Amino acid sequence: MLDVRIARLPTARLGQALRHLLSWRTVIVAGCVLVVGFLAVVPLYHLVRDTFTGEQGFTLGAFARAYGGDSQSAAMLRNSLVFAVGAGLLALVLGTALAYIQVRTDTPFKGLFFAASLVPLIIPAILYAAAWIFLADPEIGLVNSALESIIGVRPLNVFSVWGMIWVQGLHLAPIAFLLMVAAFRAMDPSLEESALMSGASWARTLRRITVPLLRPALVSAVLLMFVQSLESFEVPGLLGLQNGIYVFTSRIYFVLRSFPIDYGMAGAYALGLLAIAAAGVLLSGRLSGDARGFQTISGKAFRPRPIELGRARPFVGAAVLAYFAITVVLPIGVLVYTSLLGFYTAPSMAALRSMSLDNYREALNLPIAVTALKNSVLLGVGSATAVMFLAAVVSWVIVRTRAPGRRLLDILAFSPIVIPGLVLGLALAFVYLRSPLPIYGTLWILLISYSTRYLPYGMRYASAAMTQLSAELEESAHVCGASWWQTFRRVLLPLTSGGIVAGWIYILVVSFRELSSSILLYSPGKEVLSVLIWEQFENGRFTLLAAIGVLMVTILVGLVLVAYRIGAGVGLKTDD
Amino acid sequence: MADVLTLTTRRMIIPAVALLTALAGCGGSVTSGESGGGGGGGQRADANAKVYERLGALTGPQRRAQMIAEAKKDGQLTLYTSLTDDVAGAVVKEFTRQTGVKVNLFRGGSETVLQRVLQESDARRIRNDVVETNFLEMATLAQRGVLAKFQGPALGNVEKTGRFDAWTATRFNIMLPAWNTNLIRPGDEPRSWEDLAGPRFKGKLTMELSDNDWYANVTKYWLAHGKTQAQVDQLWKQIVGNAKVVKGHTVMGQLLAAGQTGVDAMNYTYLVQKDIDSGAPVAFRSDDGIAHTPAFPRPNGVGMMKDAPHPAAAILFYDWMLTDGQRALVDEGLTPSTKVPGDKSLNGITLVPYDVRGLVANEKSWAQRYDALLRGVQRAGGGG
Repeated sequence: MLDVRIARLPTARLGQALRHLLSWRTVIVAGCVLVVGFLAVVPLYHLVRDTFTGEQGFTLGAFARAYGGDSQSAAMLRNSLVFAVGAGLLALVLGTALAYIQVRTDTPFKGLFFAASLVPLIIPAILYAAAWIFLADPEIGLVNSALESIIGVRPLNVFSVWGMIWVQGLHLAPIAFLLMVAAFRAMDPSLEESALMSGASWARTLRRITVPLLRPALVSAVLLMFVQSLESFEVPGLLGLQNGIYVFTSRIYFVLRSFPIDYGMAGAYALGLLAIAAAGVLLSGRLSGDARGFQTISGKAFRPRPIELGRARPFVGAAVLAYFAITVVLPIGVLVYTSLLGFYTAPSMAALRSMSLDNYREALNLPIAVTALKNSVLLGVGSATAVMFLAAVVSWVIVRTRAPGRRLLDILAFSPIVIPGLVLGLALAFVYLRSPLPIYGTLWILLISYSTRYLPYGMRYASAAMTQLSAELEESAHVCGASWWQTFRRVLLPLTSGGIVAGWIYILVVSFRELSSSILLYSPGKEVLSVLIWEQFENGRFTLLAAIGVLMVTILVGLVLVAYRIGAGVGLKTDD
Repeated sequence: MADVLTLTTRRMIIPAVALLTALAGCGGSVTSGESGGGGGGGQRADANAKVYERLGALTGPQRRAQMIAEAKKDGQLTLYTSLTDDVAGAVVKEFTRQTGVKVNLFRGGSETVLQRVLQESDARRIRNDVVETNFLEMATLAQRGVLAKFQGPALGNVEKTGRFDAWTATRFNIMLPAWNTNLIRPGDEPRSWEDLAGPRFKGKLTMELSDNDWYANVTKYWLAHGKTQAQVDQLWKQIVGNAKVVKGHTVMGQLLAAGQTGVDAMNYTYLVQKDIDSGAPVAFRSDDGIAHTPAFPRPNGVGMMKDAPHPAAAILFYDWMLTDGQRALVDEGLTPSTKVPGDKSLNGITLVPYDVRGLVANEKSWAQRYDALLRGVQRAGGGG
């Protein structure tokens, strides 16, 4: 029937239809949707298949094994929820407050925000948690010792739910900070000013104007941080287990470690997490449903003007310094101190005398260090760029169009966040070992893996930025005769650049830490930094590891500084 | 405008998702590796078998010389191993120095090495010639039939307990308790596995999350030495009651050195030795130079692939690992599987058998029991 209709069309109409079909917009949008879908579906398909397939075909046995019997899953789920909610809330409050101070006020020490927003992100979680053990252990913690000499007791215990929330919250706060900085910059402060002028109190303005306008970014931040806390195991593994606090992911860890690996059971856990994550995505879609309500970037010009803090300025400045000291100086200080020793020991004259730069010398002389650094930079820049481009296009489809299936696409693009890295690695190896394309055994497979893993983050950053953008700007461009691609490139990308750059930086930084799929997919000569770090862990070389961590912080802060400079060069807004 | 835009997008998404689902799952099982047969029998296997047989039958100086000559024709060797990187680096360097054969090295945890070999072998794209890793993974590879049998006089150097059908032990990880000498006075250190249950270690003990093979071996050792199941269960309950749990032997070792914990219920001696060498106040031998607790040696071994791309290099490496390569392991502080003059890693240590077969058959159930035991910490109200 279709053939008949096409046959009846005049040739001119056919040509037009074809041109329309092959327009830039269709090609790019379709291409990006397909790529994102493919990236997400490959691991998800294998996860689902392994979960529901047993020896005799379809089965739900994996769920019984995962959640039934003596698995104590209820208690673990409870611990996980308390941990994830607590860490997410702490990170949200810290990140948002910092972002507000950074963007909206004339606070002193603005330069410090940059480091405070990045450094905790760069340090591998396991090093960050270990640093906090050395700071806040009830027996040997340095902060505890210092406090004891002042107030007579050792009040801190990092091996508690509070300790876990604290460390994870500080580690996550940069996600919220990066998202909220972009959101605040895209928000016209005159709305708040009008409220204040009309007699609303500061708190009322915050509640009725600021928070509602920020909702897309807030929801994105909460979603990312909550799910990431649910599925991470470094902090609970190091801090929780010492007091018998088991979380949900300790089960996944256990399952993936015991032999033969029960992938069905691991999948059943991952799908449990996916259900929570999907509910979050749908909820965030509903909350941002009335898109117009959040569109703060419109045809009207505005210039964010910093609020003068006045007498509060020194206090805000002191709070910023304190935050910087706690999240950056203390843990990095401990790592620098450790990196100068042969083994960790509390500071003493003997320890000071034994200090040397040996670990740094060794780190720089590791045979694969240069290769690994080069590959990590390539992959970090490559995956951050690829993901943010894909995410910008796909989030445009999700936010701007009414295409059926767009919510499904949104969930699909978010699903990689719950897929264990090992399962992702196996799925990719499976597909590309059977592909005629030369991808397996090259850096490309790592690029695909990283792009899949960080897609959810890119999507949240991009869609939060896209939601704030009024459609009238695109319409104006269209009316003026711009093609879709021109509009996308000249209007959409620049106006969402705050969110896009924040996402790009986030992905660049965390990609340096990606291990669980890298370790399976790298090949000789294609090592990455995280593999190098893992090797030193296996080796029992903790102090060398601290040195590598310090070097990584230095290198990445340098890289991001350069990125910011380039960004400033092409017209990104800065607040300094 | 949004409505105009939806027209094409609307037509695209749902068919696209359907197409992707079809693309993603091009059949077969990705993770279990149970499809596709896996085992040898690829196009190279028959030719390789002849090379292995011919070179394996040689003896005397001609054996090594002929192997090297043919391996050089192969040009290179690809090794997948879970040796730590400093050791792997030293081994590879020494091998290349002695034989002139270049080595491509892939390092990963033993589970990773296993998964990688199985995946590549299921896809019939075998890239490695030899594999060197933990016994459990070696046994699995042997069961799956991807490893070729090795023959040669070098096998005679290895104790019978280290020789298996298609792989041979190259080194041992020695399991012993370790303690912080500042926190545990001489004489108070654990001198047997039973000691860990004593009240003097209440709150001072640390256990590792995945040490189920140690748990299995200690349990069997106790049962074999006259204890009843009830007594064994009671001992474990007390040990767990004394202990806190941590993930990872390296972190555990570092926390021990830092004095955060007094005793590691079990850590590998080569890791503890590294801390001792860097001056940390830790030990696994008592002041008399003797480790009084019986030690379990967990074997790691080498095997060569039936479908190795470089078969002569593969058999050369296997042969070398059991002879000259043993010296390289000793130089790196590991415990070799053969007698090597000057090896001090076993001084003062009494070895008792490590149950390879039992763990190969029942690893999963031991893992589950250990997991349940540790989570009992929680039921008891916390030990930290």
